[in-house]
Amino acid sequence: MFFGLPITGETIAFFLLALIIIVSAVFMLSLTNVMHMAVSLVGVFLGVAGVFILLGADFVGLVQIMVYAGAITILMVFSLMLTHRGLGEHAVREVGAMRGTTTFAGIAVLVAIVLYAIRNAQWPGNTTALQPFHQSTVTLIANAIFQQYTVPFELVSAVLTVALVGSVVIARKEE
Amino acid sequence: MFSWQTQPLTGLNFLGMVIGAVIVLMVVLVVVMYTIYFERKVIGWMQNRIGPNRVGPFGLLQSAADVFKLLLKEDIVPANADRLMFMIAPIIAFVPSFMVLAVIPYTAAHVFTAGLNVGVLYYIALSSISIVGIVLGGWASNNKYSLVGGLRSAAQMISYEIPLGLSILGVIMLSGSLNLNTIVAHQATDRFGWYIIPQIIGFVVFVIAAIAELNRTPFDLPEAESELVAGYFTEYTGFRFAFYMLSEYVYVFAIASLGTTLFLGGWEGPFLPSWLWFALKTSLFIFFLFWVRATMPRIRIDQLMSFAWKVLIPVALFNILLTGALSLIL
Repeated sequence: MFFGLPITGETIAFFLLALIIIVSAVFMLSLTNVMHMAVSLVGVFLGVAGVFILLGADFVGLVQIMVYAGAITILMVFSLMLTHRGLGEHAVREVGAMRGTTTFAGIAVLVAIVLYAIRNAQWPGNTTALQPFHQSTVTLIANAIFQQYTVPFELVSAVLTVALVGSVVIARKEE
Repeated sequence: MFSWQTQPLTGLNFLGMVIGAVIVLMVVLVVVMYTIYFERKVIGWMQNRIGPNRVGPFGLLQSAADVFKLLLKEDIVPANADRLMFMIAPIIAFVPSFMVLAVIPYTAAHVFTAGLNVGVLYYIALSSISIVGIVLGGWASNNKYSLVGGLRSAAQMISYEIPLGLSILGVIMLSGSLNLNTIVAHQATDRFGWYIIPQIIGFVVFVIAAIAELNRTPFDLPEAESELVAGYFTEYTGFRFAFYMLSEYVYVFAIASLGTTLFLGGWEGPFLPSWLWFALKTSLFIFFLFWVRATMPRIRIDQLMSFAWKVLIPVALFNILLTGALSLIL
């Protein structure tokens, strides 16, 4: 037992994934080269996908990898390559002692509040015993999208198509 | 120990998985070595040449010698390259290429196969991470040819991933599953036989998009030796260069396996054992890729993009519509 958590394979996997997410996120914030930041963001996306898969949502996890770690990252890297000079020098500002201390205190207070809220939350029963999905997640998602929420789904797809066509029209206006 | 598809995860099963992964890695390395040999021999034969014939009998050890040479070469990092990115980019490109092999059903017994419910999606999702490795390699080299190669490959692979996914959708609609094991099992009992027959349009789109995804010859603009001096891996030497080549050829094997599984009935077949059927069909698919490479000239960059967006995607969408309509009527 570790802070009231049973040590199972899932717990270990969760803490490893959480470590990956947090380390990548900190790297993302602290690195100065934009391209390095984009790569550390991939770490965050993959870690989040891992958490989804750990929770049994394999479809959502893989879509997360495909859309975020694949497509969005490529889009970012692509636009950086076309616009940014890449290896250019970046000004690194010195952070004063006063500002560092205040930041640290602020983070400590935030962590304390979040931890307190989580520890005192009322969970519906024993969460480790719950089986989240009784069927294949693909079937569940398909039923939700194509039966329960057909109209909103079609509306969203229409909005996205309009946005796509609109962006092409705006981009081609100059010619 | 090797039947983890039906059993809960225990320490022994985990050990079995690790051993299985190592065995698959070893087999894949040998397959890649002989795929390269096979490619050089086949293209030599088609171009009226002999091909490699010096190292070992019939040149069979030529690839082994090449690999050995690459491993012994000096690992040069260009002075103006982004050192860290330059070093990890080949790893980012290679790891997904090997990971996608986890869902390929090689035999009827599913010894080394994950019974993933979203197997097809897993393949497409992971293969998109390799693009990041290729683009990063091109960017980190700090060389204009590499940069252009990286940009081209990103644009091309992202564009052709869409028709690739759409062409698989027809198969998924017929089999009603994203699990590759189930798709193979469905093809055995389907009244139209293997999905290459009812999904012939999907198969054609799949093959074209697969060749483009692999950056192979009619679509090899990202590396185009004659204009970009090998594109994104111009600056790479030795071990890291070997990683890029390895991931490229592992993808050749992987996409041939995926095509076999989705359209050619996977390990299904009479008389012969299932793994042999799988090997035969995959070899045939790989041979077809080499045949295309020896036959077709490279297409132009503007034609490449308009071909993906104006021809392949509409055809793939039409195939989905047709599949849906026919499965309602028939």
